[in-house]
Amino acid sequence: MSEVKLKKETNILDVAELENRIKELCQQFPHGITDQVIQNDMPHLEPQQRAMAINKLLSLGQLDLLRNSSGLLYRMKDTQSNSKMKGSDNQEKLVYQVIEDAGNKGIWSRDIRFKSNLPLTEVNKILKNLESKKLIKAVKSVAASKKKVYMLYNLQPDRSVTGGAWYSDQDFESEFVEVLNQQCFKFLQSKAETARDSKQSPMVQRNSSFATSHEVWKYICELGISKVDLSMDDIETILNTLIYDGKVEMTIIAAKEGTVGSVDGQMKLYRGVNAVIQPTGLVRTPCGLCPVFDDCHEGGEISPSNCIYMTEWLDF
Amino acid sequence: MTAQEVRLCGLLLREHFGEVVEKVGTHLLRGGAQNLRTIIHETGISLDLVKKSLCVLVQHGACVFSSGRKGPGSPTEYRTSCDRILRILRYPRYIYTAKTLYGDTGELIIEELLQRGHMTMSSTVKTVADRLTQNMEEGRCMDYSEVATAFAKLVETHFLQRCPPMVKAGTTGSATPATPATPGTPAAPVSTAPPTPESFPDCYKVPHMTLVGRGKRQLCSEEGEDQRNAKKARMDSQTHGDEGISWQVNFERFHLHFRDQAIISAVANKCDQTSSEILRTMLRMSEVTTSPTATCTKPLSANEIFRSLPTSYNIARPILDQYLTLLVDDPMEFVGKAGESGGGMYVVNLHTALANLARATLESVVQERFGSRSARIFRLLLRKRHLEQKQVEDFAMIPAKEAKDMLYTLLSQNLVQLQEIPKTPDFAPSRTFYLYTVNQLPTARMLLQNCYKTVANLIERRLFESKESKRLLEKSQRIEAILASLQASGAEPEQLTEVEEMITATEKQQLEALRLHINKLDSAENQVDESIFLIESYVTSTASTS
Ligand code: SF4
Repeated sequence: MSEVKLKKETNILDVAELENRIKELCQQFPHGITDQVIQNDMPHLEPQQRAMAINKLLSLGQLDLLRNSSGLLYRMKDTQSNSKMKGSDNQEKLVYQVIEDAGNKGIWSRDIRFKSNLPLTEVNKILKNLESKKLIKAVKSVAASKKKVYMLYNLQPDRSVTGGAWYSDQDFESEFVEVLNQQCFKFLQSKAETARDSKQSPMVQRNSSFATSHEVWKYICELGISKVDLSMDDIETILNTLIYDGKVEMTIIAAKEGTVGSVDGQMKLYRGVNAVIQPTGLVRTPCGLCPVFDDCHEGGEISPSNCIYMTEWLDF
Repeated sequence: MTAQEVRLCGLLLREHFGEVVEKVGTHLLRGGAQNLRTIIHETGISLDLVKKSLCVLVQHGACVFSSGRKGPGSPTEYRTSCDRILRILRYPRYIYTAKTLYGDTGELIIEELLQRGHMTMSSTVKTVADRLTQNMEEGRCMDYSEVATAFAKLVETHFLQRCPPMVKAGTTGSATPATPATPGTPAAPVSTAPPTPESFPDCYKVPHMTLVGRGKRQLCSEEGEDQRNAKKARMDSQTHGDEGISWQVNFERFHLHFRDQAIISAVANKCDQTSSEILRTMLRMSEVTTSPTATCTKPLSANEIFRSLPTSYNIARPILDQYLTLLVDDPMEFVGKAGESGGGMYVVNLHTALANLARATLESVVQERFGSRSARIFRLLLRKRHLEQKQVEDFAMIPAKEAKDMLYTLLSQNLVQLQEIPKTPDFAPSRTFYLYTVNQLPTARMLLQNCYKTVANLIERRLFESKESKRLLEKSQRIEAILASLQASGAEPEQLTEVEEMITATEKQQLEALRLHINKLDSAENQVDESIFLIESYVTSTASTS
């Protein structure tokens, strides 16, 4: 055996290298690669050699051959499932399949039971088994705190499951949101102030008080207050809360394709604005804020004459 | 008329006219139109007092009377309405506004007319001139003609108007404006439905009046007493040619002014000073051309606006155009564009502005009372109309538990409504959409009632505070009187300090605290009235357009 190997050594090395290169390419393009891609990558390669390498990979079960509209596609086969599923029975494979199909959205154990048509106890046993082999994992969903969903071990859970940037361990990070809310506002406010102080014509002043969502996003990223990566959508969600706070206004303008921060030829502009009125007169009196307003009557248990809120307010 | 309105009216009547008038007034408010006999019977007040109370109310325009509903010959019935009585709350603001617009003279004219209900021009001018003279340095005095000019100005700008002439008994319908509303005899004439003052062509016509002379001092100075007395006698016997024409304050006109002021200051807050000055100019130009109930002003061209801008603003034409464009662009929609001619035609959207200001008022109430995150939810619902709880959480970025809490609190306070939309006819909760909404108009109405209650509470507290310290107040007044008379008789300084010391230090402190409390309550009443004004204007403007 060793003799044979030695004889063919250079050739074998080449083949091994070739196989690795093809696998790398497959990993780079998880959706699959065509013959053309391999050819472009290694132009010096003989078609025969290429075919041999691919055939070998296919026969080893490391590559999948797919057909789509543009021709043949090679795709990496999940090697783990092959190696790790060794020793599993068909039921386990079935459950694994069901979970794999669910992708990174995960699947609920009840649904696994329906899809696999196995009894509940059986499913639970298999799930435990797979979990201990680190083939799958259970993720708590933010949608319902008591609901666990299963997905393959190596998957990054979908936003709908984790809740995206705003959740850590299914807990909504409300303080984080408020901090971002304040920072975004600070940014827009200082921009508006600079614009006001510029003493330019009113139109220029207004226009320079606007910031695109991209600018806000960049500012927040550079601040480095966030441990997780925030997308521009995340920032727009925050900016929207500022709109509902009545502190910010948004305008949508048409933008040239390819301008930074534009989406579908549109750009969202935000600016900080002042409130139209001071706190209204009613809420500047104790009664306007009074928790027992409806129970207060002259001559009653609670009355304006004996009211402690009034006394406090008057002596303030 | 709600219980809150009646309670507040009662308190206002008590403060200004005493308890008997309060009793008659609230009785009329609660019971609707009634004749004299019923009022006496049900209130248990003597005929004389009821008559006098009714006189007071009629004198101030707070009560109207008409022949009975049971056909001719049935007894006259009396009616009051909350609207007019609630205006009492706004008296300080009317007076203050007159002062800022027309100086001390304007202030006193409005004050006198508010205090007396209605008066003839000549007597108003005399009283005001006398009062002004009183406050002037020795030897100077106010000319009648000067006051008369101010009076005419107020009429010209519609802040004053003629009282609608009374119709004589028996001549129902055919107008015989010869009989003036003579205070003290209101029970005699009978008229049909009360006409509005503006339905008379002479409403804003200043009558010819012969009144020459100047204001007099009450405390006589040395200058020729005999001569003065002689003059007085001559004056009083004189007629001035305007007898029988009485004048009253035109509240509606003041309200239009308040409305404009509110819009201007909102623009100043939101945009900048210059924008608000442009708006002020636009509103001033529209004062005469736009009817009081119009939803927006008549279109004004940019050219006209430019010409009318006070030169001191120093706004160049292109800059004005930019400002106008910005105002049109603003989401508050205070200004709208009505066309392109004349460099662009612009209108002020009066009703939209009121609605937006009322909305801001509601938002401010939620914000101050329930915190900024509840206010976020409230604004969100105002913008998006109908939302499920989950959507509220997602848009407002508030954790489920807190959002639920806030929504329920708002719901329990009636600031937010819940709508159920079943997917199936069985109304099963699991197959039903639960949508939260905010209805601006009903919410505004509710807050208006809260405002009335709040003002009433403030007044009650004020009355209570003064009652508590009644003895102390009386004492300090007595001492002040003694001091004044001692000073007048040229007493020794030691004597004065001795009297002064009759009030102890703690008592002084108490008096000071009381004064602070009363001032605070007073200004709070005025502030709440501003909320009332905004919400009321919004509610009436919406009612008149829809
Ligand atoms: S008087 Fe006091 S108890 Fe009554 S409503 Fe006002 S604050 Fe509340």
